[in-house]
Amino acid sequence: MPQATTEQQPSPISRQPKVHNKSLFRRLLKQWDVQLMVLPGVILVFIFAYLPMYGVITGFMDYSIFTGSNIFDNPWVGFKHFEAFFNAPEFERIIRNTIVISLLKFFIGFPAPIILALMLNEVRHMFFKRVIQTITYMPHFLSWVIVAGFVIAMLSTENGSVNMLLQSVGAIDEPINFLSLKQYFWTILISANVWKEIGFNSIVYLAAIASIDPALYEAADIDGASKTKQIYLITVPSIMPVVIIFMILAIGRLLDAGFEDILLLASNPVLRPVADVVDTYVYRVGLGANRYSYGIAIGLFKSVIAVFLLTIANYAARRSGNSLW
Amino acid sequence: MRKTRKSWLLMVSLIFVLATALAGCGGGKTADPAPATPPAANGDSGEKKDPPAEGSDEGKWVLGEKPLQFTAYAHYEGTDFPKWESVPLGKYLSEEKQVKIDVIAANGAHKQKLSAMIASDDLPDMIWTDRDDPMILSLQKEGKLVAFDPWLDKYPNLKTWMGDLDLLRHEDGKIYRFPNWYSSNPYGTAGYVVNKKIYDELGQPPLETTDDLYNYLKMVKDKYGDSIVPFEPHRAQDRQGLGVLYTAFGEQLSYSNLKANLLAVPKDGKLTPLLTDPTFREAQKYIAKLYREKLISQDAFSQTEDMVKEKVMTGRVAVFAGSSPTDIASKAQIELTKDDPNGGYFMIWPIHKPGLDKNKMTAGTYTSFGWNAAHITTAAEDPEAIFAFLDWMTGPEGMNVQFFGPEGKNWNGFDENGQPNFTENYDREEVTKISSENSPWQLVGNTSYIDPAKWKYMSTLPPEEQQWEVRYQQTVTWPTQLNVTEFVGLDAPPNSDEDIIAKSVDELFLEIYANSVMAKSDEEVDQILDQGNQSLMDLGYQQLLDFREAKWHANLEKQKK
Repeated sequence: MPQATTEQQPSPISRQPKVHNKSLFRRLLKQWDVQLMVLPGVILVFIFAYLPMYGVITGFMDYSIFTGSNIFDNPWVGFKHFEAFFNAPEFERIIRNTIVISLLKFFIGFPAPIILALMLNEVRHMFFKRVIQTITYMPHFLSWVIVAGFVIAMLSTENGSVNMLLQSVGAIDEPINFLSLKQYFWTILISANVWKEIGFNSIVYLAAIASIDPALYEAADIDGASKTKQIYLITVPSIMPVVIIFMILAIGRLLDAGFEDILLLASNPVLRPVADVVDTYVYRVGLGANRYSYGIAIGLFKSVIAVFLLTIANYAARRSGNSLW
Repeated sequence: MRKTRKSWLLMVSLIFVLATALAGCGGGKTADPAPATPPAANGDSGEKKDPPAEGSDEGKWVLGEKPLQFTAYAHYEGTDFPKWESVPLGKYLSEEKQVKIDVIAANGAHKQKLSAMIASDDLPDMIWTDRDDPMILSLQKEGKLVAFDPWLDKYPNLKTWMGDLDLLRHEDGKIYRFPNWYSSNPYGTAGYVVNKKIYDELGQPPLETTDDLYNYLKMVKDKYGDSIVPFEPHRAQDRQGLGVLYTAFGEQLSYSNLKANLLAVPKDGKLTPLLTDPTFREAQKYIAKLYREKLISQDAFSQTEDMVKEKVMTGRVAVFAGSSPTDIASKAQIELTKDDPNGGYFMIWPIHKPGLDKNKMTAGTYTSFGWNAAHITTAAEDPEAIFAFLDWMTGPEGMNVQFFGPEGKNWNGFDENGQPNFTENYDREEVTKISSENSPWQLVGNTSYIDPAKWKYMSTLPPEEQQWEVRYQQTVTWPTQLNVTEFVGLDAPPNSDEDIIAKSVDELFLEIYANSVMAKSDEEVDQILDQGNQSLMDLGYQQLLDFREAKWHANLEKQKK
């Protein structure tokens, strides 16, 4: 599977020689030692990602937990649970929130680490660059429980540092109840996400930038290109293949509007109209209220749309020669 | 290109074939042992040697005669049993009486854990959870619980101390739950705790009516500004302090009306919608006014419990109300009085609306069967022994061991009322330590027995040496709790229409409730509640009310007998 073969010229990430005229099996056999290394990963993915998938058929049944793994003992009900979801009073707002939050995360959360990487690349002071890099990627290793705890404490009206800061500089007279007002929620959610992941996600772009041939910059210098020009004309095009691959992956995850972050930050029921997304709804209804089949049906519905989006994104990316398959 | 596609096809089909094959294997593997082994044998306690002594009728289980070992699981969010040997009770019983309990921990994911145990048919021997937990109802329906009926007379402590057991019965008429902290007397600690230092500094104004409270909170706000929270309601999504405020607007008004498993106002034998109830609206308008004027913590709906604790422990609240405010306040009392003997907190008689009879105020509710219950599953090898052990725990000897340690040191023998004789060696600090360390393992507490026993010792002490919360239990909170036993068990069976309605009604109610607290004016409160009631009705609220009403009437019938 690792052979990303295209008819166009090889991109930096698909450097394997083009072997077209031998059968797949013969090719695999020839590089058996290399394939052996892939095998554990394939087995792992198979066991934990593919094998449990047969459980999705319970979305078309009335699954009773007492039947355990004998899932075929449950009665088939067709599309009953899908219909129930489409007719649920929460349906519209869940879909809207899922789409809005996903798009916000995509359009803000995806470019942010690229911009950070470009900025870090221009920092000439090595020590300063390292410090910034370390500080920005540390939050990735904190769990959402801790991050949400920070955010809630910082934004609270009593002794919340954000409110205290705003009050001391005279920006507001009264503390703002950030976590109880709908209009702030998306901003808080996206900011917390960007803060948490920006550094870690920028690592891969920094690595891509580091692999650019310095001769290109030197030549540009001689031609009199300014620093900004160099970024636009050399850095960005050079890391484009990596950016596109990550963008395809991000599109595949597009409907993962988030789960833990929303669950923890939107504990206030007032926020539910802007915070309820597919995943939190599945968790609450499917697991919380023990409606397993219903939860599975909604999850499946989401996955089908995600696969569809991924296929479209890949198709579009293939034109640039950087597609996933 | 074509070649690539072909190889992909091959790969994908290979994966599918493999998946089907493995799925078949997986199914077969788990399906196989189920019929082969009876449920009793799949417990993981293979060390048990003794066969169940049920065959012989005289085989009455006596503590310490032979070893007992079983697995126990607490089905609660964020609460697992501590290791059995780590508490004084477990250490004593495992060392001296051959009782060992293996803990099954949910590690923070209790819903997933129990679901997984059910789906893999690997149940713990004993499940300890809410009396009417929906999963327990399903387990009972599927025949996975063991009924206690054959043993109730053989081991009579539960029957003796609980009295009428009829309301404990499940739908099939049998008893599957061993209640914790059941009591025929009122108990509970819902109410208002007031910061003494602030109260003194403001000149000890009267704090009896809702008007008094409003004026007092305003004084606090004017004098201390943002540094003190005038009214701290704990986590408002669980009602807590806001629910306590609701009870100020009617005589014998039930806090439980706001709880998810009722959400209705009983009136003339009928359950009426909560949101259109005039008393509820009056209370909501009062609460919204306090919230609007920033007299109630603005974080009420978003804060975590730790944030509440921090505020109360540091004395940054003027009035603190909740369904059990003494839990935090009694600890804060100890901390705050260390630096300032005149500081700390005191409890006040529940606030009432002017014109109501203050002696008929009820800030909280209680039921005769407490909160949680122990259930024995069919996975247990010797369910009778487990029941007998629980029955020993709830009896006088078991209760005394849990609260005062093993017989001989702090207590010795019983007096003519069946209460413990305290010895001269009675060590107060040790007793406090023993009872607080044992508390997570107090599975089947017997309030009717232990409260008088505790009071027997406490009453010999001068008032200032009595425990802070015990003093207020006697004088304030116990007399102001309402008995709502008739409203227990109104839940619909899992996955029934009513159950699905109840879940969505509860969710939406919480949203409406929070919105009405944050309303900008009285008119807006009315508007939100009108609209909210309509939305609830659209979800099938009336059907739910009818269902609960029928169950309630059935309870009343049972109580009459």
